[in-house]
Amino acid sequence: MKCRKCKAPAEVPLPSHNTAFCRDCFAAYFTGQVEKSIRRHGLINPGERVLVALSGGKDSLGLMLELSRMGFDVTGLHVDLGIPVSSLAARAKVEGFCTLHGLKLRVVELAKHGLPIPDVKKYINRPVCSACGKIKRHWFNRVALEEGFQVLATGHNLDDEVARLFANTLRWDAGYLSDQGPCLDAENGFARKIKPLYRLTEFETACYAFLNGIEIHTAPCPYSSGASFTGHKELWARLEYTSPGTKIAFYDGFLKRGRPAFAQVEQESGAPVAPCESCGSPTSTGTCGVCRLGIAVAERRAADPDRQ
Amino acid sequence: MITVFIEPDNETLTFERHNTVLMLQRKLNLRVNDALVIRGDKLLTPDCQLKDGDEIRIRKVMSTG
Ligand code: SF4
Ligand SMILES: [Zn+2]
Ligand SMILES: [Zn+2]
Repeated sequence: MKCRKCKAPAEVPLPSHNTAFCRDCFAAYFTGQVEKSIRRHGLINPGERVLVALSGGKDSLGLMLELSRMGFDVTGLHVDLGIPVSSLAARAKVEGFCTLHGLKLRVVELAKHGLPIPDVKKYINRPVCSACGKIKRHWFNRVALEEGFQVLATGHNLDDEVARLFANTLRWDAGYLSDQGPCLDAENGFARKIKPLYRLTEFETACYAFLNGIEIHTAPCPYSSGASFTGHKELWARLEYTSPGTKIAFYDGFLKRGRPAFAQVEQESGAPVAPCESCGSPTSTGTCGVCRLGIAVAERRAADPDRQ
Repeated sequence: MITVFIEPDNETLTFERHNTVLMLQRKLNLRVNDALVIRGDKLLTPDCQLKDGDEIRIRKVMSTG
């Protein structure tokens, strides 16, 4: 196979775009897709400081590298979940990556804030992943707010977004369908949330990571029950294989024609938002959900005979 | 003979007969964008010819949580 642009031997076949690229032309294509996302949806304005959520996976590290090369003022944020072995490994990958590329990094250790995920799993009677997700989002937003970042970027790719949109559509979840997308505007004390990789597939972000020599954290979390949306992703991989281009057409079509319709019918949900009485994060419940989790874990830990 | 290492399963397979990357992908039940096909520091496209003694790394891309 030859590169469509320069005719050198290709390394990246992209049937969805009816093309293939050599590594240099793929790099240009990748940058072009990120630029297009940023331009089309006004993701980052000149002079804004961007906080990038870094899990240690290919998507988040690739996003960080690409945004920094494009000249944006980026800082990484890693939340150390305090899970034995796996959190240490993930954090080491993130720290190594940022040191290697001279990138700024903040690390939040949940153990220091009384909420290591193993304790949440032990003492809180709800699926650990939903609490964990809530805690991570809380800290991304809180650091953004406290340290004056206007933008919060995550590494969600096209496959993540299509699988999520598909799940929301299967449930006709009007609330989610009214605002899913690559840009959620800042409001009520939350920073703007952006997904600059939404036009790029998992295959493309994996190629990018490999071709840029990014060492990634791949070991799954011990609490993971398998990938979220795995079944949907498989379904979409089959669709894309038989009809190349379906994923991006579905997602772009939703942004253009689906979302505005849902946004129109979805009423503003009533509860007023005010700063959390304990940590200052915006909440509609007085004390925010994460502070309440912290209190519950602390109480049960104190009452646990194994911890005396 | 070629040796194929599969990630993230950490499985090693060997094949006596070898031809193209496409045939290897078919044997492993992989579509073209399901996995990276790596030889040394290069990515291979489906039409690439495999040679005797090749060590190939298959890196599946679907993220697992
Ligand atoms: S799989 Fe692990 S890291 Fe991911 S949300 Fe669940 S507990 Fe948190
Ligand atoms: Zn080229
Ligand atoms: Zn709070």
